[in-house]
Amino acid sequence: MQLVHSELPSHRTDATSSIMTYATSSNMTNKIDHPQLCQWLKSIAVDRDKQAFTEVFSFFAPKIKRIAQSKINSEALAAEVVQDTMSNVWRKAHLFDDSKGAATTWVYTIMRNVTFDLLRKMKANKEDNLSDDIWPLAESLNTEEEVFSDHIQSRNLQGIIDTLPENQQQVVKGFYFMEMSQEQLAVHLDLPLGTIKSRLRLALGKLKLKLGDHHD
Amino acid sequence: MIKHHPKLELLQSFVDGDLPASLAAGIAIHADMCAFCQQKIGHLTEQVAEASFEQDLSPKSAVIDISPEISAMSFDEIIDQITASNDVEPAAVVHEERLITFKGMEYTLPNTLRNMELGKTAQIGKLSRARLNLGEGEIHTNLLHIGPGGSIPEHTHKGFELTLLLAGTFADEQGEYVAGDFIMLDKRHQHQPATEHGCLCYTVANDALHFTQGINKLLNPIGAFIY
Repeated sequence: MQLVHSELPSHRTDATSSIMTYATSSNMTNKIDHPQLCQWLKSIAVDRDKQAFTEVFSFFAPKIKRIAQSKINSEALAAEVVQDTMSNVWRKAHLFDDSKGAATTWVYTIMRNVTFDLLRKMKANKEDNLSDDIWPLAESLNTEEEVFSDHIQSRNLQGIIDTLPENQQQVVKGFYFMEMSQEQLAVHLDLPLGTIKSRLRLALGKLKLKLGDHHD
Repeated sequence: MIKHHPKLELLQSFVDGDLPASLAAGIAIHADMCAFCQQKIGHLTEQVAEASFEQDLSPKSAVIDISPEISAMSFDEIIDQITASNDVEPAAVVHEERLITFKGMEYTLPNTLRNMELGKTAQIGKLSRARLNLGEGEIHTNLLHIGPGGSIPEHTHKGFELTLLLAGTFADEQGEYVAGDFIMLDKRHQHQPATEHGCLCYTVANDALHFTQGINKLLNPIGAFIY
């Protein structure tokens, strides 16, 4: 690990020991292309680009699998870590902010959190999934506005929301504009939590369709 | 000002994800209040991430894994399965504040603790304790409230004891502590914290406290109570 970070001369003589040669070659072949990773994540977030996801997957999945396997000592569970981590990458790519850190750091955080929850489930028999509270992936409140204006054309948004059925509008506006939690909305609108959740899901589906139309 | 911080090794284990939830949560809460440790954690995370993903499938590790398959599924199948889903995580996750009241004093719990299962509050004199049920065996985690003018009799620890001050202040032989102070004691230490105006602590201990002075030995139930 230290070798990778130390500054190795770029030109090596043949006298170099085999260990150093190994370190150098792995250093050269494995130099992480951070801008490229960021670009792929952006394509996933904005265009739901499957090809970009395939690239990201090919880069991370074998490494995640190996790390997870050494930590959990089970191939089946390591596979679960890969699947969960990568599916989080797919679903949360729009939350990645390259001004806050490298793509590797972001994916590492997801992997570490998934592994932590899995180990906790095994050891403490708890399915409380505390990792996102301990290591939050996005400081949601401050970044919320940015995320919004970055990924959804907010100027069209109000108009599109107004086309939703009244009961879905209430939920979307409460959740996104008034920053109420789903639980708070349930109390506020005097509806079961399940209803709030399904209305929000329906509304988001419709919004996505309509916003997608504008993109195309 | 916060004067007591987690040691570097502890921060490293935190970043690696190797600590029990109780201690990891303690560090997360501290870091939320301490820009200095927050920054260190940021650096450590960056480093470990870089190191994790920089290693390629070198000839050595190729023996362990080079096949593009995960269990019975190929990478392609997994990619298809994942990308078939259209679910997107909502950008805005707004959480309700979770409050807790001890002896009429209301506190907002740190966000880190918001989903933890909280037991009933028990009281002895000026001490109130609510257990956080994390299921970590001999490691016990509590919210401990000491009312104004209260103290904990002098004691040592058989194992370790983390006291993270969440609100208020207390003092012991070493001096005064403020919210955010991360105080890790082990069996070499003795202390007798007392608070003038009351305080709320997040505590993690892996063995009952051991009371050291005369009459206080009779109070040993308090040791079990705090632990």
